[in-house]
Amino acid sequence: MSTQAEAAPVRRRWSRQARHQMIYGWAFALPFFLLFLLVFAAPIISSIRSSLFKMQSTGGGLFGGGERVEVFAGLENFIVAATNTSFWGGIGRVMLFGVFQIPVMIGIALGLALLLDSFLVRRPGTWRLLYFLPYAIPGLIAAIVWGYLYVPQISPFADAFGTSGGQPFFLAPGIILASMANMTTWTFTGYNMLIFLAALQAIPGDLYEAARIDGASGLQITAKIKIPLVRGAALLAVLLSIIGTIQLFNEPTVMQTLASWMGNDYTPMMMAYNTMMGQMTPSGAGPASAVSILMAMVAGVLAVIYALAQRKAD
Amino acid sequence: MSVFPKRLMTVAGLLSAAALGLTACGGDATPADPTPAASSAEATSAETPSEPIDIEYMHRLPDGEGMTTVAEIVGRWNAENPNIQVKATKFDGKAQEMITKLETDINANNGVCLAQLGYAEVPEMFVKGLTMDVTAEAEKYKDNFGGAYGQMSVGGAVVGLPQDSGPLIYMYNETEFKALGIEVPTNAEEFVAAAKTAAAKGKYIADFEADEAQNWLSGQSAGAGAVWYSAVDDAWKVDAASDQSMVVANFWQELLDSKAALTHDRWSDAYTAALVDGTLIGNIAAAWEVGFALDPLDTTAYAGQWRVAQLPQFGDAPMTGPDGGSGVAVMKGCEYPAQAMKFNNWFNTQVEDLASQGLVPAAAEAAATPEKWSTQFGGQDVMAELVTANKNLNADFAYIPGFSAVGPKMTEAAAAAAAGSGKVADVFTAAQDASIAALKDAGLPVSEG
Repeated sequence: MSTQAEAAPVRRRWSRQARHQMIYGWAFALPFFLLFLLVFAAPIISSIRSSLFKMQSTGGGLFGGGERVEVFAGLENFIVAATNTSFWGGIGRVMLFGVFQIPVMIGIALGLALLLDSFLVRRPGTWRLLYFLPYAIPGLIAAIVWGYLYVPQISPFADAFGTSGGQPFFLAPGIILASMANMTTWTFTGYNMLIFLAALQAIPGDLYEAARIDGASGLQITAKIKIPLVRGAALLAVLLSIIGTIQLFNEPTVMQTLASWMGNDYTPMMMAYNTMMGQMTPSGAGPASAVSILMAMVAGVLAVIYALAQRKAD
Repeated sequence: MSVFPKRLMTVAGLLSAAALGLTACGGDATPADPTPAASSAEATSAETPSEPIDIEYMHRLPDGEGMTTVAEIVGRWNAENPNIQVKATKFDGKAQEMITKLETDINANNGVCLAQLGYAEVPEMFVKGLTMDVTAEAEKYKDNFGGAYGQMSVGGAVVGLPQDSGPLIYMYNETEFKALGIEVPTNAEEFVAAAKTAAAKGKYIADFEADEAQNWLSGQSAGAGAVWYSAVDDAWKVDAASDQSMVVANFWQELLDSKAALTHDRWSDAYTAALVDGTLIGNIAAAWEVGFALDPLDTTAYAGQWRVAQLPQFGDAPMTGPDGGSGVAVMKGCEYPAQAMKFNNWFNTQVEDLASQGLVPAAAEAAATPEKWSTQFGGQDVMAELVTANKNLNADFAYIPGFSAVGPKMTEAAAAAAAGSGKVADVFTAAQDASIAALKDAGLPVSEG
C-alpha cells in the first residue's frame, strides 16, 4: 500500500483516467493481498519468528520451577538442525526416493495422457476419471490401504516374498523406500496425467492438420509436436513432485506403525512433526520451525536447479 | 453509467473484505482473561458454590461396548451436584496429540479444567507450566488412593489425583502350559527354560514388543529394581543402563538368540494372528491389557484358558514396574480448582465403573473383578492378582520431563534388536543418551558422572 502513496507523486502527469484505473486496479487486487497476507505471509513470518526462539526453564531446580520463558536463540535452532546428521540422512532418503520415483511417475503420466489424447481410446472421459480416482482418495487412507497390502498376515501376496533382514519383505530397510514410491506413484500418476492432458488439449488443432498435410504419421505427430509442446507442463509436474517428495510424510508415517525400526526422523517432514510434538530432542516449536524452514530451503534450491537445467536444455 | 456507484461498490467490497480479515484475526486475538484469581478465591471458600459453575474434563478412556461410559458416570455426578456441572469430552487420538492440544488451548487461555495425563507425561506438563499446584486440595483426598498418589506429584507439588495404574504382569494360557508340562515361571531362569521347552514344540510364552519398548522395557527394568531418574545435589542423575537394566537386557537377549520368543509388535496384526492361532501362549503385559487383550480369543477354542500371574522376579525381591497408568490433573487457568478436585476425587473413586472401562483403579478401595474378565480368565479373581502387582510396584521409579522424546529412540533400538541387527542392551543405552539430551534441551540441570 505504501507503493500506492509513493508512486503518485513521482508520476505527476497522470491523467485523471489513469489515476482512476490505478485505484480500481488496487481495489480489485486488495482482497487478494489481504488473503495472501493472512493465509500465506503471516504463517511464514510467524514460523520464521518462532524459529529464532526457544523455550527455557528458568525457575531452577529439577523441574525448572514449572515456569518457562521464550528466549531469543538467534540462529541456534538452525545450526542444531543443519548439523544434525539425521536431518541430512532424511534429505538423502527423500532425494533417493525422488530420483527413482519422479521419472517413473512422470513417464507413466505422460504416456497415459498421450494415450487418452490420441483417438485410440474410446470414452476417454471415463478413463480419465478412473486414472484420476486414486488422487481423490485421501492420502492417509491410501497409505493405510497399501500398508495392509504389505503386511504378510493380511496381504494376499506379501507372504510369498518372505523376509529380508529379519523384517517382512515390503517393510525391510532396503525395500521400504520402493514400497512407499509405489504408493505415491499410484496416488499421483493420475494427477500428473491431468496436467499433461490439459496441456495437450490446449495445442491448436491446426498444427496437427498442417502436419498431416505434410504427411506426418501419428507417431511423428506425437514425438515432434505433442511432446515438445507439453514441456512447460512437464516442468510444472516435476517441480510439484520435487516439492512433494521433500515433504514426504503420510506414507512413511503410516509405514512407521508397521515398521517400528524406522524412527521418528526417517524423512525431514516426520522430523519436523515429531520435533513439534515433543517426540524427539530437541523439541518444541522453535526447533520444529527451523527444521521446516531448512527443508523449504532445500526444496527451493532443488527446484531452482531443476528449472535452470531445464532452461539450459531448451 | 456514472462513476460514482461503481466507486461506491468498490468501497463496499473493500470494507467487507477488510471486515472478513478483521474478524478472522479477532477470533484468536480476543484476550480471554477471566481473572481466575478473583473468582477462585471467592469459590474456594465454599466447596459447594451457590451459583452453578461449569467444569470441563478431557479424557481418553475407551468408552467401549458394555462399559459404563464416562458420560453416564459424569451424569450421575451432575444430577447430585447441580451447582458443579461437569462437561466431559472424549479426545479421540494419540496421547501425545492430546498433550499438544492441551498445550495450545492453555496457552490461548482456552484450556479445560481437568485432563487425563499419563504418569510419564506429568513432569513434562509441569515443566511446561501447564498444570496447577493443588497440593492443599489433594491432601484432603490422599487417603482415598493407593501408592499411585505419588505419581501425580512433581517435586513436592501435587497436580491432581491418580486414576489407574498399569503394573506389569504375566498372562499365560494355563491349559497349553499344562499340555507342555511347564509351570508358570517365577524368575528369569525358569522363564528362559520354560520358553525353550515351549519353543521346541512351536509355542511361545513371550513376545518381544519393540513398539512398546518405552514403557514396557523401562517397566521391566523397574521390576528388576532399577531407578532411572533420581536427584543428586539438585541435578538429575540418569541411570537407565544400570546393572538392573542389563539383567532385563540379558534375559531378552537370551530369549531372542535362542529364538524362544516371538518378535511381533504389540499393535501389529502379526501379534493378533499369533494369539488367535495359539502360537503365542504367554506374554508380559501391562495390567490394563487384561481389559481387552483376550477379546480376539472369545470365539476360539482358547477362550477361558488364560490366567494372570505376577511378573517373573528379575531382582532380589518380588517387584514389578509401571507400564502406563494415568491420573486426572488440574490444568493451569482452571477457575474452580477446589470444585474440580472434589469431582476428581469422586470420579476416581467410582471403582466399579472405572474397572468396567478396563482400568485397574488407583483408588484404595478395591474393585470387584468385572464379569467380562472373569469369563475370559476362566473365573480367576483377576483383580486380586492385579492388586498384588500394584502393591509390588517399584515405588522409587519416576519419570523425567521429556520422557516422550526418550521412547522413540528405545523403540528404534528395540526393533533393531528384534530383527537381530542390534542388541537388547542398546535399548537401555539409547534411553540413557536420549534422557540426558532431553533434559539438557529443556534447560534442566543434569549431573553426568
